Amino acid sequence: MIKHHPQQALLDAHAQAQLPLSMTIAVAAHCEMCPTCQQYLEQRQDYIAAQTLTSADNCTDDSNGDEIDLQDDWSTMIDDITALPPEELAPFKPDIVEIKQRNYHLPRAFKHRVSRDWSTLGKISRMRLGIDENDSRASLLHIDAGGDIPEHGHGAQEMTLLLAGEFSDEYNQYQAGDFIVLDKNHKHSPSTIEGCLCYTVVDAPLHFTKGISKLLNPIGKLIY
Amino acid sequence: MPELQTYRRQNRYDNNSKLLSGRSMDKDNQPVPHEHLEKMIALVANQRDKQAFGVLFKFFMPKIRSFGMQKLGHQGLAMDLVQETMQNIWTKSHLYNGDKGAVTTWVYTIMRNRCFDMLRKIQHNREDTFGDDIWPIFESDESIDTQQDNDPLMSNLLMQHLEQLPLAQRQVVKGIYLQELSQQELAEKLNIPLGTVKSRLRLGLEKLKSFLEKHHD
Ligand SMILES: [Zn+2]
Repeated sequence: MIKHHPQQALLDAHAQAQLPLSMTIAVAAHCEMCPTCQQYLEQRQDYIAAQTLTSADNCTDDSNGDEIDLQDDWSTMIDDITALPPEELAPFKPDIVEIKQRNYHLPRAFKHRVSRDWSTLGKISRMRLGIDENDSRASLLHIDAGGDIPEHGHGAQEMTLLLAGEFSDEYNQYQAGDFIVLDKNHKHSPSTIEGCLCYTVVDAPLHFTKGISKLLNPIGKLIY
Repeated sequence: MPELQTYRRQNRYDNNSKLLSGRSMDKDNQPVPHEHLEKMIALVANQRDKQAFGVLFKFFMPKIRSFGMQKLGHQGLAMDLVQETMQNIWTKSHLYNGDKGAVTTWVYTIMRNRCFDMLRKIQHNREDTFGDDIWPIFESDESIDTQQDNDPLMSNLLMQHLEQLPLAQRQVVKGIYLQELSQQELAEKLNIPLGTVKSRLRLGLEKLKSFLEKHHD
């Protein structure tokens, strides 16, 4: 049983694509492993979708009250689209990472993200993922069976998603799917018996990107 | 920032937005019931019905555009979002599965994912098209093993269990195996998207299998 879940605010922000990529991948991967959060996410999406796409007062720009004359104005776009054939999808195949003679299937949210090399020191291996934003660093962390990490604090917030195996620290025992956020006041020394693979985001950017359109406005004006 | 300029390809639909302003309220533009949207998606999926697509377009376009304005902050980009979202609806309608969620949820998911990819491109100049892996929506078209063994005893047993399936699954399993309709024909007959037929068939067959396993224990 997964015991540690993302906060509701994180799930809500994820449902609306308001999280930075490194965090949204973590929440998505957790939901793939956690039926409870997956169900919450689906309900949340239903609700947001209905709000966004069916409520009458959601048109906040000047399009409110416009008439859409499909005959004239939009027929070119519609013609172009309807000239296209249906698209088939290749079946999903998970990415696999290999470390210390073990293979791990990664959740779908990591698709196409893992293409780099591991750097290994003793039982600890780390693969940086190219999805850093601002000061945050996202990586896969593998601790081989019987390994531990000496006690450390965090200069900033750290998010850990346990993807496979188990580890424990002073506070808890964790198992696959657990979503753990530690702030800078927490010191801990994790250790594992059977080995584990984690996804970690250090200096986890837990702020949301709601303000982004405000930022885009001046940029947009500059360019167009 | 030349990258942004190349991304923002000349959109010949831009003029459309001008035509939109200053007109009177469309009387048809009232809330459309979910069943109606479902029917339109099924028509698009099964018959490539352009008129049904027009109905969907008319219903969703203003909302997508308004969402795009909010998130992307630019009229032209909002139009790109309309185009990409509507194009996904047209080319992937057969993958929509009504048993998994409402049409609005499906469209919202497509729109949000496309918008996410567009924002990544603008902010980081990354050619990401990974929104659909983070919020998977399109069920891939797994082929279903339709090879049946012809053991008459087994068939008999199957027929009994068939009646225990929920109606929606029973209809599909019977249509495929007893009336020997193709999945496509069945989708048209029942007026549901092909994706729904596939998922009901899969669920029905799994349930039958578990009935049989129980029987053998
Ligand atoms: Zn959870």
